[in-house]
Amino acid sequence: MRVSDSLRGRHIVLTGVTGFLGKVFAGLVLQEVQDIRCITLVVRGKGRKVTARRRVEQMLECSPGFRTLRAAHGEDFVDYVSARLQVVEGDVERPRFGLDMDVLEGLRGGKVDALIHCAGLTDFSPDPARALRANVMGAKHAADLARFLGAPLMHISTCFVAGNISGVIDETLEAGISPSGTPFSVNEEIHLLDRLCQEGEAAHDRTVRIDRGTERAQALGWPNLYCYTKALAEHLLAARNDVDITIVRPAIVECASSYPFAGWNEGLNTAGPLAWLISTAFRRLPTRTAHAFDVVPVDDVARGMILVLCAMLRGDRPGVVQLASSDVNAFTFDRAVELTGLGFRRWVRKGGGTPQDRVLRLLDPVPVALNTEGESVVPGLRRAISRVMGHVDDATWTSRLIDWDDQLDRIENMLDLYRPFLYDNRYIFQTDTVRTLSAELDDDEQVFAWGVPKINWRSYWVDVEYPGLATWCFPIIRGEDVPMDTPMSPRLQLSTAPQSTSMAGK
Amino acid sequence: MVSRSATFASAWLGANSQSMNDRLTRLGSLAVTAPLQAVGWVDATMANRLTWMPVRGMSEDRLLILGEEYWATWLEDALLDVGRTLIKRARSEGRRVVLISDHLRCMIDPLQEAVGADELLANTMSFRDGKATGRLVDPVMARFGGRALEDYADKQGIDLTRSVAYGSTRADATLLAGVGEACVVNPSVGLARVADELGWPVLEET
Repeated sequence: MRVSDSLRGRHIVLTGVTGFLGKVFAGLVLQEVQDIRCITLVVRGKGRKVTARRRVEQMLECSPGFRTLRAAHGEDFVDYVSARLQVVEGDVERPRFGLDMDVLEGLRGGKVDALIHCAGLTDFSPDPARALRANVMGAKHAADLARFLGAPLMHISTCFVAGNISGVIDETLEAGISPSGTPFSVNEEIHLLDRLCQEGEAAHDRTVRIDRGTERAQALGWPNLYCYTKALAEHLLAARNDVDITIVRPAIVECASSYPFAGWNEGLNTAGPLAWLISTAFRRLPTRTAHAFDVVPVDDVARGMILVLCAMLRGDRPGVVQLASSDVNAFTFDRAVELTGLGFRRWVRKGGGTPQDRVLRLLDPVPVALNTEGESVVPGLRRAISRVMGHVDDATWTSRLIDWDDQLDRIENMLDLYRPFLYDNRYIFQTDTVRTLSAELDDDEQVFAWGVPKINWRSYWVDVEYPGLATWCFPIIRGEDVPMDTPMSPRLQLSTAPQSTSMAGK
Repeated sequence: MVSRSATFASAWLGANSQSMNDRLTRLGSLAVTAPLQAVGWVDATMANRLTWMPVRGMSEDRLLILGEEYWATWLEDALLDVGRTLIKRARSEGRRVVLISDHLRCMIDPLQEAVGADELLANTMSFRDGKATGRLVDPVMARFGGRALEDYADKQGIDLTRSVAYGSTRADATLLAGVGEACVVNPSVGLARVADELGWPVLEET
């Protein structure tokens, strides 16, 4: 298989390019497939002042995700991307993404080869009303649009739609059956979730909505609203036989291994808060040491998507494809915890962190089991603080104890949120499809090879992931700005030429 | 070449174990065996095995990463000038330079490149399921000499009678006795006594 041949002259519609994975996917395709005809980016504007086009322009000139592409094309960068990118203002939460009819007709006339739906909420506890619109209805709208365009759809989901079960998870979907084994109807779930969000105080209180939605998710065997809504989307798409759909399920998407450059990350991903937590004075992370921390570098996910896209374009129907590491190169939690401590230690030794970190680096984090009541160390600490508080009269100390209790409360909530993945469930996700596709690659196209089976977790975690998180993720947790690249001068402006005249013919 | 002993290196690893329990256990174990070595109740090979035995159970990840840190923190900037001078001289004479250390290889690996040696022979820890077994792979480098030295020389095509060896501890005497020209550098009391008896030249430098 040759990716460059498969993608030559193709037209792809992509949602979610402003997200972490979308940026890396778009950047990698533009970097390595110069003959791509067009990538149409469906992007929302930001308020009235920032149009979708301007958002993309800002992203292209300032996001480190496009740094490598900018460097490769230098002064020709604007011409290069202008000739290959088309931006349309759209919203995945609206039918057919809210695209105007002339835009839709223009796309249909431009012979779209595939629609890749990458947009979605990745927060574990989103407002269920919003998650329903973005993750569930967004998938439905993507399928409707794909049908309208006569193009196959690649829907980006997550391995964790598997829910609260343990064992080997294969690349299939049993439509209408929840992880707890309960038969359910997607449409009824959508209506139920909608009703739960509108009844009584839920209509005005986001927390109530989240609690109710989470309760429903857990009743069916999903640990949180993210997994629940992503799963509902899959079950919804499984019922569609009017459009060719491939579901791609990445596991935990983490720092880039090499593209756009080693360590790049954006936003709060799964490992970020955990790595941050055990780099603080909190050193006892409840985990089951032999369980796999199913991490995949973002650029490997993008490579997997490209391989699947090529298979779709040659007429294959891969069905469900998992992009994970646990089946052939498992990264266990005991290694993850230890390497996080060692990564922190090395990062501080090389000049990172605060004076306090120089002491903390000598105290390694350790994986621990929950106690017989299923509790971590945190509730016990909180009870101790509460007891001490009853005997303290001094205002300064009382205030300090309240601060500590607040911090422990946040840690406890965070551990509860992560517990299904760290402790309760042992997943082994099969990845036969992507490995087969990667094995078909020609020798000179190894830049697209699925690299997860060969990852050296020690060097990846210590030299790439931890410094990446420290640079791109921890500032967000601390409420600080994340470094961005300097805007271009003059400001980057994509040319507005229509694709039919500005792009190489198919 | 280096001023830190293997016992110091093992203690440092023990003090940087993952959990407090492991730290106490490893340092305690070393505290028990170190006096046996100091008073000479065990031979050099056994002493070296005992030195590294507390590492048992430490992950390969930790050993490799701490090994790099140990080199950067304790050895890289503290190499003895006399060692550098001797190596420079040997190279200018067209000699093959082989370094022998009783440290773990993962802690001292960069030494070969740092001083421009042709080869580094160091102790190797054995691992099972990613954890150190505490057992050194033979030959143990504490008392490298005799049969092991002859085998190595045969394999490498080295004429021992035309070779020069430098050492600083009593354990190096076997090596020094096996070559054509021996020289002791900053010798321990035990090695100074042997050097005196056998007429080996002594270098006292920093």
